[in-house]
Amino acid sequence: MENLSEVLQLFLSIDNFIAIALGVVIGVTVGSIPGLTATMAVALALPFTFSMQPVAAILLLVGIYKGGMYGGSITAILIRTPGSPASACTLLDGYPMAQQGNAKKALKTALFSSVIADFISNIALIFFAAYLAKIALNFGAPEFFWLICFSLTIIISLASGSMVKGLLAALMGILLSLVGLDSVFGSQRLTFGNYNLMDSISFIPLLIGLFAIPEIIEFYRKKALPHIKAKASGVGMTLAELKRCMKSIVRGSLIGVIIGAIPGTGATAAAFISYSDARRRSPNKDNFGKGEVEGVAAAEAGNNGVAGATLIPLLSLGIPGDVITAIILGAFMVHGLTPGPIMFQENLSLIYALFLGIMLSSLILLVVGNAAIKYFSLIADIPKSILFPIVLMFCVYGAYAVNNMTFDIWLMLAFGVVGYLFNRTGIPAAPFLIGFILGPMFEDNLRRSLLISNGDMSIFVRGPITWFFIAITFGSIAFAIFRFFKDRNAKLKPTS
Amino acid sequence: MKKIVSATCIAACSSTLLLAASLSTANAADWPTGDVRLVVPYAPGGTTDVLSRRVADLLQDALDANVIVENRPGAGSTVGTGRLARGGRDADHTLLMASPGHTIGAAIYPDLAYDPVEDFVFIQNIIDIPNVMVVPASSPYNTVVEFIEAAQDENMAFSHSGVGSSIHMSGELFKTLTGSQMTAVPFAGSGAALPALLGGDVDVSFENMPTVYSHIKSGDLRALAVTSAERSPYLPEVPTLSEIGEYNLDQFTTTAWFGLIAHKSFPEEGYEAMQEALDEVMERQEFQDFAEQLGAQAGQVEGEAFKQFVIDDLARWEEVAQQAGISQ
Repeated sequence: MENLSEVLQLFLSIDNFIAIALGVVIGVTVGSIPGLTATMAVALALPFTFSMQPVAAILLLVGIYKGGMYGGSITAILIRTPGSPASACTLLDGYPMAQQGNAKKALKTALFSSVIADFISNIALIFFAAYLAKIALNFGAPEFFWLICFSLTIIISLASGSMVKGLLAALMGILLSLVGLDSVFGSQRLTFGNYNLMDSISFIPLLIGLFAIPEIIEFYRKKALPHIKAKASGVGMTLAELKRCMKSIVRGSLIGVIIGAIPGTGATAAAFISYSDARRRSPNKDNFGKGEVEGVAAAEAGNNGVAGATLIPLLSLGIPGDVITAIILGAFMVHGLTPGPIMFQENLSLIYALFLGIMLSSLILLVVGNAAIKYFSLIADIPKSILFPIVLMFCVYGAYAVNNMTFDIWLMLAFGVVGYLFNRTGIPAAPFLIGFILGPMFEDNLRRSLLISNGDMSIFVRGPITWFFIAITFGSIAFAIFRFFKDRNAKLKPTS
Repeated sequence: MKKIVSATCIAACSSTLLLAASLSTANAADWPTGDVRLVVPYAPGGTTDVLSRRVADLLQDALDANVIVENRPGAGSTVGTGRLARGGRDADHTLLMASPGHTIGAAIYPDLAYDPVEDFVFIQNIIDIPNVMVVPASSPYNTVVEFIEAAQDENMAFSHSGVGSSIHMSGELFKTLTGSQMTAVPFAGSGAALPALLGGDVDVSFENMPTVYSHIKSGDLRALAVTSAERSPYLPEVPTLSEIGEYNLDQFTTTAWFGLIAHKSFPEEGYEAMQEALDEVMERQEFQDFAEQLGAQAGQVEGEAFKQFVIDDLARWEEVAQQAGISQ
């Protein structure tokens, strides 16, 4: 009881409420600007937290993180420019929806699924932190290797239009991900002596180029033709649709929670895994990629499910899973707190006050997100001849802002041409992206496992987690082959 | 006529002297004349970035000027450092937070476009963070000597946060000095490396103090030694590697050091103003609390001594990089 009053005393402060609200607003705004990522916003906000109370300080940063996760989806849906890497998956169905005049529905779907996933993720953090942290510790390089193998099988479901083109795109993605420094020996690979490529191809310029630029090129190429004007004043998400998506949202959230609890995988992978899982199970699977509400819901649930869960390894083990949690760890340390098992013994009240604040942040996200939709959806009504030059300016700025490098602008434009050629030839961009993200993780964990075991291959079958992922990897491949033959037979039947 | 000329000469000389005198008394108060830029040659969020933002915050008061932190990441820290080395318009108001990446980068990148020593002015070493040699709690080794003896016969895996990090190079240095059989296992940052150590997948690591301190305290990791020249006040019972006295370890002292450097054309008054301001910053309670949280100690060297420290550090890493075959 004494603890409860201490928790409430720590939590019920106007500073905390302002910090969360301000954080979410900053996050949504920054997240929605291409090139400005939540990571950057959290890093820039850090010095302002030095003079704040610890709970308010951490909540401000958490608010930015969560707001940024959602904010990225706004521009992904409206102008096919992912505001953050994790929202790249949202645009696969979000942008087609906006094109069909359903921008508001897509934005609302993204918001509701984000908030629900965020809430589920927070529950997992509060009640299962210790348990999930234990799983995370058992997740070594070989376990990771198989998780990545399983994730690579989602290319199959993302490439169902044409398997050959899908695999081709994925291989091109993997090939490009090889550029940079070798992770074991540090030698340069495919950099052609250019120091700008030493840190590998920068992800955000690639993302902006691949998705936003082709739209702009296409618009100017067809300028003479009359174009359909996307209307934002459509309807929001209906209750029936929410009900239909609920299973995907919950499953996506759980995928996000598990991925988030394991340090080092990230929200982008979670979004794609959730998306492909939803597609595989959905009765509307053929509509995925063409403007399916469930696609938006699953992608957003996957990436927001990660948000609360990444705090699990941070708070319970003191291990930051990504750059943002590393900065939050820094903020804890500035205030004389060291996340990890000891903090749960020494600062339990503070942790619970934080939990309350984190729960509140989901609610605030709902309110702020709703307000944001009202104004942001007006963007969809702007004539494209005015909008696209502005978008192009943001693309250039966004590509530059990541590393303050002019080289990245050229990179972005080059990927714009690649993206345009992809569109013209029907090569899907999503498998390309998956290859680019997962390629290095696949390679690193394969080599890491073999370095740890001194070349002994038996490390790849060393325990139940590896067995589980081997089973679902091969299961997933077998299922795809089975479906391929089933579909072929179904197609063959009417003609025979 | 002669008189006039000589009078003019005297007047000219004396006014020149006066001007020179007034210039030489141009003291710290004349600098900065505008905003000061602090370049962080890494992406936002890492230790260098967090530290720089803290220092920038405190420097603003001490200098009574805006201190703007600018991230210039890329190729270790060599992209940001290379830009500083090129000088330019703002070079007289630009600082850079250098770290072991400055010397290790120079040791492992063969064709750097700048000279890591001669192209810069070395202002002050601000903070030193020791690395700790840690093994998982389940490890059978309780001392450094036990570990080395075992590593003579069987291969040990050590985790590190990336090729060329101080953690990686410390491991390579240990391997070279003691003749142990060790394999470097790279991870993407200390956060990703820690689970492998806690879970016992790797045998040892030479992690930065702040990363492992709470795990040592909670008993999940065992500290065998610290890498600094003196014992850390935060782990007073843990010996330094140089104390071991065997296996050439007396030569083993490394820390993750952080210090401010500037372009070689940096003005004298700026140098003096910075030294004054940094002394003030380092005396501030906020700074000392921050250092304590990092398990760090305030930097020991400034000016020429800092430069010499960098020269020695560079020579040592060049040798290790050569022996370990690391070169980009």
